[in-house]
Amino acid sequence: MRKDERVPETSSFASDARIAGNRFVLIGIVAIVAILALTGAFLFLSLPDAGAFNARVERIFVENDNLTSAAEIKLLEILAQSGTAFSEVLAGYRVVIFVLMLLATGLLVASLVFLVTIVNQNRRMAEIERKGIQVKSLAIDREQNAVLLNDMEFKLTAAAIETIAVLAEARMDDDVLTGAEIEAVISGRNAADCDEAAGATRIKRLRDALGNQMVAELLIRTVQRRGYMLSVDKNAIRMT
Amino acid sequence: MRYASLALALLLAAALPAQAACYADYKAKRDNPLRLHYGIIELPDSACSSRAAAEEAARERLSRADWQLLNVVGLFGEEGLEERRESAGDFFLRF
Repeated sequence: MRKDERVPETSSFASDARIAGNRFVLIGIVAIVAILALTGAFLFLSLPDAGAFNARVERIFVENDNLTSAAEIKLLEILAQSGTAFSEVLAGYRVVIFVLMLLATGLLVASLVFLVTIVNQNRRMAEIERKGIQVKSLAIDREQNAVLLNDMEFKLTAAAIETIAVLAEARMDDDVLTGAEIEAVISGRNAADCDEAAGATRIKRLRDALGNQMVAELLIRTVQRRGYMLSVDKNAIRMT
Repeated sequence: MRYASLALALLLAAALPAQAACYADYKAKRDNPLRLHYGIIELPDSACSSRAAAEEAARERLSRADWQLLNVVGLFGEEGLEERRESAGDFFLRF
């Protein structure tokens, strides 16, 4: 009995790439925000404040010993005041820079997310192309004896439906069933009394019935009233 | 009696500049909004020895009136007062 055993992680699912991508997005966003915050802080700090004008005027006053008459000094004061008035304009610039920084952050984050999404999409497409079929949805309809795979309907026998239902339930619990266990669940007997081969036969029948129809749907298509055709891109075919 | 006190006051007024060993012209400022002035200050004997000592004394006195000393331009005696009176204006021997 291996009830607690998990499905071994030897096969890679397309969603693995997405998880790695998400980590990349997170790191990227943090990096973008950090870089732009640093740039913003640098810009804010390097903008001169009103004191810069006053300091310059003060230096002119100190460095020129002959700047002593009352009129000249008054002129210097007026110069400093007009500089101070300009500092209000600088405050406006700060707001503009802040808004632009926010905008730039948003755009960069969005483009990063889009970029990673596209890369992931491509990777998933490659994965799907390699695997042949990626099952997005599996619905089992016991009453109709039908299985809906990615909205493709396959008719099965009642026994085969029973088998796939047992497998589906086990999969939802992350369980792996032996042939004897499958037989035990379906027949309602104790697993110890069941034959491994009986379960294996059920699996084989299910594979045959489902596989036939799936191949018919995906690979060898029936064209109504005309005949049969491989539903494969002709460029993909190689014959040696 | 009245004449005597008046004479004393006159004497004191006349004696005061003579007592001082030197004068300095300086530049000072106030912040927010920036205000500047050029002035003449009378210094005690002890501050006459060097520019640094003069700056020390002038800074002390100006800060009491909430002015910040920028620099001392020069030290001079009584003979230099008149030529600087006009430039200093309100701040001629004010502090």
